[in-house]
Amino acid sequence: MSSREHDELFERLADEVESREDERRAPSRLKARLYTALIAREAESGPLRSLSEIEAEGRKLCVFEQLVQIAPVGQTAKSIFYCNVCHARVLAEHFENPPIYWPNCPYVQLKNE
Amino acid sequence: MQTSENHPRVQNDLGPDSELVWAIVQRDRKATADFVAAHTDAVYAYVLRRVAPRNEVAEDLTQEVFLNALESLPQFKGDSSLRSWLMGIARHKVQDYYRDRLREVALDQPEVEPAVEIPFEEWMNEQRLEQKVKSTLSSLPDAYRYALLWRYWEKCSAAEMATRTGKSEKAVERMLARAREQFRRRWLDE
Repeated sequence: MSSREHDELFERLADEVESREDERRAPSRLKARLYTALIAREAESGPLRSLSEIEAEGRKLCVFEQLVQIAPVGQTAKSIFYCNVCHARVLAEHFENPPIYWPNCPYVQLKNE
Repeated sequence: MQTSENHPRVQNDLGPDSELVWAIVQRDRKATADFVAAHTDAVYAYVLRRVAPRNEVAEDLTQEVFLNALESLPQFKGDSSLRSWLMGIARHKVQDYYRDRLREVALDQPEVEPAVEIPFEEWMNEQRLEQKVKSTLSSLPDAYRYALLWRYWEKCSAAEMATRTGKSEKAVERMLARAREQFRRRWLDE
């Protein structure tokens, strides 16, 4: 068998396997860590979009974000990533099925059900 | 990451991904969560197929793909879907990973070709083919597994692999021959 024939055989095998493979789900703790890392990177380049602006666009806030949103603080305070101090983030980054359930939490959104 | 006041959302030419891309560029945390939720499974599945059984590597590379994408998002033109664009970044990351691993390997061993043909044909209609291939690949030393995946799954020519790893084409071909031989032996042994 020539080298070219070996190549063709392996190419066929690869194509055959590739066409059969299903999409597997990423671990939810990876999604949680990824989300935190992306937000941290975004925050390095400037303030995050404020919760007021996000809500004004019709997006839902979680219960803690709503508290911040109605608090008598400036827009700068409303741009902080409060998830950093929330136990939902810690649980989501370490457990595959974290016991967090409240609505509109990004870490609940990223949880594999 | 750079912000973009004149991002193409204003020009409205980014297609269905326009709103999401614009919001992420504005550092909108909810849009970023949507981005992760919508695309992580596909990127991770692709990367894991290419570096299995090293799940930890797949996780690290997936994170690198998204961080890289975040940096480049202001330049996203919408020529392809956001998913296709992300998968392009993932392909580059995987190939960079192969390149780095293979650069570390000495490729000066003698040439070898399988003495016996590999009986793939009889497996092609088997439901277990995918599992058989995966388990055989997983049993190989990393360098051999990555060489085969890079050459046949990523469809990178031996010449291109040689250029990217700084090795000679002959050395890469010899390594591929050894990798195929190891694959054949383990395929038959299982």
